[in-house]
Amino acid sequence: MSKINENLFFSEFIGRKIMHHNGNFISTVKDIFVDFEEVYPSAIALQFVKNGQYFYTEWSQIDQINPNYIKLVKNPNLGRSRTFPVLKKPQEKTVKSILSHQFKGETIEYPPIGKVILDKQIVDTFGKKVVRVNDLSLLKRNNEITITHASIGTRSLLRRIGLLGIVNFLNNLFFPNSTRLKNDTLISWQYVHAVPDKNLNKNVKLTLTDDEIKKLHPADIADIMEELDNNARTLLFKELDHELAAETLSEINQEYKKGIIRDEKPEDIAEILEFMGPDEAVDILNDFDTERANQIIQKISDKETKEDIIELLEYEEDSAGGLMSNEVFEITPNLKKLDILKIIQNEHDEIESIYDIYIVNSEKQLIGQCPLNKLLIQKENISIGEIMEKEDIKYLTPEVHWREVAEFMSKYNLINLPIIDKSNKELLGIVSVDDVLPWLLDER
Amino acid sequence: MKDKIKRNQFITQLFLLLSIIGPGLITANIDNDAGGIATYSLAGAKTGYRLLWIILPITVALIIVQEMSARMGVVSGKGLADLIREKFGAKTTFYTIVFLLIADLGNTMAEFAGIASAGEIFGISKYISVPLSSVFVWLLVLKGDYKIVERVFLLGCTVYISYIVSGVIISPDWSQVSKSIFIPNISSINKSDLPIIVGLIGTSITPWMQFYIQSAIVEKDISVNNLWHTKVDVIFGCITMSLVTIFIIICCAATIHVNNGTITSAKDAAIALKPLAGDYASALFGIGLFNASIFSAALLPLATSYYVCEGMGWESGVDRTLKEAPNFFILFGILVIFSAIVILIPDIDLFNILVFSQIINGLLIPIILLFIINLCNDPDIMGEYTNGSVYNFFCYGIVAVMLTANLGLVYFYFIQ
Repeated sequence: MSKINENLFFSEFIGRKIMHHNGNFISTVKDIFVDFEEVYPSAIALQFVKNGQYFYTEWSQIDQINPNYIKLVKNPNLGRSRTFPVLKKPQEKTVKSILSHQFKGETIEYPPIGKVILDKQIVDTFGKKVVRVNDLSLLKRNNEITITHASIGTRSLLRRIGLLGIVNFLNNLFFPNSTRLKNDTLISWQYVHAVPDKNLNKNVKLTLTDDEIKKLHPADIADIMEELDNNARTLLFKELDHELAAETLSEINQEYKKGIIRDEKPEDIAEILEFMGPDEAVDILNDFDTERANQIIQKISDKETKEDIIELLEYEEDSAGGLMSNEVFEITPNLKKLDILKIIQNEHDEIESIYDIYIVNSEKQLIGQCPLNKLLIQKENISIGEIMEKEDIKYLTPEVHWREVAEFMSKYNLINLPIIDKSNKELLGIVSVDDVLPWLLDER
Repeated sequence: MKDKIKRNQFITQLFLLLSIIGPGLITANIDNDAGGIATYSLAGAKTGYRLLWIILPITVALIIVQEMSARMGVVSGKGLADLIREKFGAKTTFYTIVFLLIADLGNTMAEFAGIASAGEIFGISKYISVPLSSVFVWLLVLKGDYKIVERVFLLGCTVYISYIVSGVIISPDWSQVSKSIFIPNISSINKSDLPIIVGLIGTSITPWMQFYIQSAIVEKDISVNNLWHTKVDVIFGCITMSLVTIFIIICCAATIHVNNGTITSAKDAAIALKPLAGDYASALFGIGLFNASIFSAALLPLATSYYVCEGMGWESGVDRTLKEAPNFFILFGILVIFSAIVILIPDIDLFNILVFSQIINGLLIPIILLFIINLCNDPDIMGEYTNGSVYNFFCYGIVAVMLTANLGLVYFYFIQ
């Protein structure tokens, strides 16, 4: 075998010829039996139909899998059953409640995976409609096959219908540069709860249950949510507590943001916004009309956050003022290193970035800056005014367009960029590089 | 004391029945849409009482088919497109849906043809009535409350009672009528009857209706324990529909057929109501036709868009935005706009569109029926509520008769 790892689709695997070792044709692949207990289930047997009767052959009986045919070993064991009987192992590990009733008998009867999940709807934990599984993505490693993803998009649907070739041809002809329909939309199998039930007809569930979901990184939750339909997205979002909701919302693609919180109560939105950086909160508020945005702002209980948000709302979304966060780590020049570290320990929660410390005078004008690493290597009792850089501080004013901000930051290799009021030179906030990145990505 | 308990139980049961009744009755009434009225009128005018006996087996077939769809809805809790997709896979579903979509496009055209015909009775040009109605349909579906739409529609259906009253006033020879209804007269069928027979079947047992009733029942979330209430609902609905059908045919036979008249437009069909309404017959017919047409013009594209999206796994729902459910709205839009435009083609024969769309239905229904029968026999889906063998015998019998009628039609009209 030249290739070790190969991705293939379930629909391509089905219908492959099965042959005896001597090359005699037996039948074609009807379906695959897998071990449902694994996170990424591996194939354990092939199902095929001959003379109207169902047979299976265990994976160990397969000699080689080629793109065109599957060859079995000499004198293979063939079993006759619609399902695949697996002898019950002694139960040592704890089984989740949803699995438990499956394991009461001596053997487990596994239905094949295609029958369990193909063309079924994946529903979320609330039983609401999500998406239909058009295909499965398999990983082939030598002779082993593992199920890795459920495929849900238009591309997989077209492949099933047999029109993918034509549509691809037309797509390349008329929109050669389009990225549409070039890739399958996939849901990782670890989120798919495809445990066969007595009633095969039940919908397949996503494993986004209670605690499991809360353990995921907000960016992962965001990924999952982007793949769900609107209804499911809002339902799932409602399950998150406000803090997790805020973090997830920051990670999720801009185009879904509004849809998700559109129907939430102003109080709830306000609470979620409080957990976000003011700049991100403003991004979301900008999607609402003025009246509703005002309603939400009214409900924000933390006075400081509220003022920050109102301040930021005045700037255009695509200007430096719209990008910046006004939670800046700003201190006066007389503070000692020890005091500063203490402040960092106490307030790090509320400060977006501490890599750069900004020093302001009594009029809040920016007079110097100091990177955190420079401060760390100093003596304990040195004051920041002594070590700060006073000359050549890079800054911009709030009305500058984001593209200029990006160019400016790239030119001077800045991670953070202070934004200064044009007239009174007051430090208003900072733009971090991750505030600009999404705009650049959208531009692409 | 015992009596009282019994009576209380009876009352509880009655209330339960009333709360569940609806999907069957409504579906049956949508059945009598513009295409339906046209086909029945034509049948009466052309053949008199001669084909009346066909209505009885059609009613039985309709009850059997609708009962299966309803039972599947109650037991599986899923729509028909859903089940077809899960059992037969993406490819079969896709091509079935393509054919259904073509048929439903024809049906929607028929509804708009009905609107145009009804308008013409009142002297309103179709260039005014059709565009206005399509805008109304859009608003009704996108802004209106579906439950209210359904009620207004049902209320409008009471116009059909006028056919029964008209029939009684005509007082035809009842012994001859009942003989025509109950005694099959197969030998009298000739070649020219075939389109009418296929049309009658097609307008009574339509493909999209099976999707509609199953979805409506799934929506109501009826418990399996109350399965028999649903059956009562279905039977009651079907009988109501057939009664109206029979009386439309009687009225047309007694007023138009006896005078050797023909129906070339909706105005001619209105003569059947003359015994009841006299000079107002046209108006009454116009109102009935308009009511049936406009609501079906709204419900049919809507139901079609829903089941197509259901089968293909696309997002759907009138409460979504265009961006959230693009396929759903594009489908609905195309069905309404395309149909309206076709009807607006000058000098197009509206009445022919009405009848022809029903023939397409008749050709397609056996295929859908085979799906339904197959699904209804799958223990994975139906559990203990699969069809019995006697029931299956009747089901396949119905399919066989339908196929025979279709083949006959195809043979005589397209091959010869």
